[in-house]
Amino acid sequence: MTQSVPSPDRIAAAGATAPDGHASPAGSLQGGAGAGARTDGSAEEVFVDFRDAGFTYDGERFVFRHLDLTVPQGQFLCLLGGNGSGKSTLAKHVNALLLPDEGEVRVFGCDTRDDEQTYFIRSNAGLVFQNPDDQIVASLIENDVAFGPENLGVPNPELRERVTRALAEVGLMGFEEHETHALSGGQKQRVAIAGVLAMDPAILILDEATAMLDPRGRAGLMRVVRELHAAGMTVVMITHYMEEAAAAERVVVLDGGAVVLDGAPAEVLTRADELRALSLEVPFACRLSLDLQARGVPVRTCVSDDELKEELCALRSKM
Amino acid sequence: MRLAFEDVSYSYDGGQTKRRRGKRAAEKQERRADWGNAPDARWALREVTFAVEPGEFFGVAGHTGSGKSTLIQHMNGLVHPTCGRVTADGEDLAAKGVAATVRSRVGLVFQYPENQLFATTVYDDVAFGPRNMKLPEDEVARRVEQALALVGLSVDEIGERSPFDLSGGQQRRVAFAGVLAMEPEVLVLDEPVAGLDPLSRADFLALIASFHASGMTVVMVSHSMEDLAVLADRILVLSEGRMFSLGTPAEVFADPAALKAVGLAAPASQAFANALREAGFALNRALYDEEALAADIAAQLDGIANGTGEVAADAGNAAPGAACGDLCAEGGVDHG
Amino acid sequence: MAERAIIGQYWPEESAVHAMDPRVKFVLSLVLMAAVFCATTPLSLAVAALFVAGFYAASRIPLIQVVRSLAPLLVLVVLTALLNVLFVQGGQVYFQWGVICISEKGLQSAVFIGCRLLLLLMGMSLLTLTTTTLDITAAFERLMAPLARIGVPAHELGMILGIALRFLPQFMTELGVIYRAQVSRGAHFNVNPFKGGVRTLTALMVPLFASAFRHAETLSGAMEARCYHGGVGITRLNPLALTWRDGVGTGAILLMLAAVIAVNFI
Repeated sequence: MTQSVPSPDRIAAAGATAPDGHASPAGSLQGGAGAGARTDGSAEEVFVDFRDAGFTYDGERFVFRHLDLTVPQGQFLCLLGGNGSGKSTLAKHVNALLLPDEGEVRVFGCDTRDDEQTYFIRSNAGLVFQNPDDQIVASLIENDVAFGPENLGVPNPELRERVTRALAEVGLMGFEEHETHALSGGQKQRVAIAGVLAMDPAILILDEATAMLDPRGRAGLMRVVRELHAAGMTVVMITHYMEEAAAAERVVVLDGGAVVLDGAPAEVLTRADELRALSLEVPFACRLSLDLQARGVPVRTCVSDDELKEELCALRSKM
Repeated sequence: MRLAFEDVSYSYDGGQTKRRRGKRAAEKQERRADWGNAPDARWALREVTFAVEPGEFFGVAGHTGSGKSTLIQHMNGLVHPTCGRVTADGEDLAAKGVAATVRSRVGLVFQYPENQLFATTVYDDVAFGPRNMKLPEDEVARRVEQALALVGLSVDEIGERSPFDLSGGQQRRVAFAGVLAMEPEVLVLDEPVAGLDPLSRADFLALIASFHASGMTVVMVSHSMEDLAVLADRILVLSEGRMFSLGTPAEVFADPAALKAVGLAAPASQAFANALREAGFALNRALYDEEALAADIAAQLDGIANGTGEVAADAGNAAPGAACGDLCAEGGVDHG
Repeated sequence: MAERAIIGQYWPEESAVHAMDPRVKFVLSLVLMAAVFCATTPLSLAVAALFVAGFYAASRIPLIQVVRSLAPLLVLVVLTALLNVLFVQGGQVYFQWGVICISEKGLQSAVFIGCRLLLLLMGMSLLTLTTTTLDITAAFERLMAPLARIGVPAHELGMILGIALRFLPQFMTELGVIYRAQVSRGAHFNVNPFKGGVRTLTALMVPLFASAFRHAETLSGAMEARCYHGGVGITRLNPLALTWRDGVGTGAILLMLAAVIAVNFI
């Protein structure tokens, strides 16, 4: 894995490596590297910052309003919430695909409404969508992965290196010339991630990227995401699957566009009654430990199977 | 209706000419795809033999590319076996004219069925099947109303609305109704809860259980072993087009390691019971649902538990989702 | 595979012709066809045929594959030849029955025109056999680029073509699923399209269009998310670059043109 720990300096460098003389995107990237990002000392740690943000599609009903949420560098954050809780809308704000109507959203310290910074933000906050078929633009894998950096004007020996590296990072080394159509859902989704990684982002946002995959594809994708995070990537993941949430460092539950629960998986995912009230699932280990507690077994409320198994084995050895 | 598969093999490029060549030819041409669902994976099904008994809830499991979708398309004669035969109450589906008559008796709901809605009103869409059956219009009206009622929708409320204006969950219900309106004896569902959030999943599973309870034979394809363990009487596990196992959930889930090897995971409670068993717990039941597992673990830790064998006041806690609570309890006890 | 037949019969091979720049191949195949048209005598046509055979040899495409890819088009050749037999008259008459008259000139012209058409088709096939559709798209886009100055959206046209090619196999698959789903609901698609067939046809087309719109909506978002902003300032993973092969190819084609024209005067 060649991914270094992202730092604001690295982001600045990413902007500066764009070739000179190119018209719009390269110019704006350099703008992003210079101004805004580094004036505020405290912003160096915070990658995503929603400040009293509000958004509405129709001008009347707000998807979220007065939302405050920050994501520090290097965090693996999982966003949970029922249908219509505003999670996908929120994801599109991090990537500047949507702009807030109220308050502001700052990514790497840059206001997403600043046109000059749009491509800087988009290339550094890569977004992967739910349906693998709707985000692959080219017939051959290498052309699809190269699409992002091509748009950024990355010149050629580096462009080829980025494609090779991105494919290696998602475990598809050597598949450059395969046709995208013949891939399984899980493989397509990994190509989509590679396409984002080739832009050399500091944040990876996954908008229900595992929802349409079978268990094998889901497990493969999660392995890739965990490896990327271990190598320093900041990850914002939206999902319905509790076992995926349990793998995160921090879980945020949204309801009606507001943050209702926020904390470590062990704190959030064990609040069975609150989760059910929000029509979310409770992880299996948590359900079982609560049931055992009700039967008088003194176990902690666990979020993962392994944790509960250790707990039970410890109890048994005391007998 | 009894649907029987007799030594069925299916090849993507095998037309009528290959039908009589038999098994040896089949073996000769075997070629496995090692990359994704490559289009040149030749044999989608190999020597599959089983029967879906009337009134049964029959589960089909297997990961992507295992031949599940091809298998169910044999059930209403959309595709015919390259070798072997599929019979409905003894009649060969490949015989002339049989498939067309069987299609109204075996309803097939494809994956993401809402993607097949097309009519300008919900009524017309649901009426498509009955009208193709050349039923009189008053009978069509009765069936549309009844089918929509079965999926929890009212023809008066949404009959005249465009299916494209409905929510995703409602669209899927309308698509279900479109098949139910043909009043099939066997309902075949391909991943009916794919892409739904947990709440709607539970709703749809309850809905499917209600179809079965009303007397319909149900065949459900799923990669969620949880759902199949709760609902199915018998489960067929496919791997690379071959029958990997066939039996009751207890039999099929007895060996989680083997299941994992074919890309499937045993239900969480069963897998956890197995892990504990390996750690030295004496857990004797063949199939565990969550309640049974909690009860047995509590019994094992009797000396430590302060209230021995005390049953939880809120038994519903053990269910994966509130809406499917009664289903889980019912399914679990049956096979436990 | 049905989808492959539609996209084109690209034949992967490591040959000098395959390695040529698609833009050059695109232009040269036009020149090749012009050269074939220039051949007005049987001898010059034979010279052209010799060159075309040489190009095919250089492309290392197996003969059987060439025949296979041309087979559907042979109908056209035979039909044209037949028309010539029937309508060109003169010289010795070999066969007469009513208005049908087969003459010496008719046969000569049939063979000549038939061979010329065959060579034209072979010239065209050489491009599609040795160049991926992706490369043809890229060549088309790059050749159109100068027209961008007069307002022709060359980059956008190329992008549209590329996305269309990428989604073609997908729509084929989706259409297959929709078809089977509607057949499962008792639809008959082999009935008279003018008698109740319209309803069953909408049952296929409406879901397909709905799906296309759904794809388009998310795809445009996904492209934006990956910094798509039109053709300004972008780079290419596989930039088209001229090599010595392109020089040799151009030389060979020009030699062919010159030889054909020269032989015409013999």
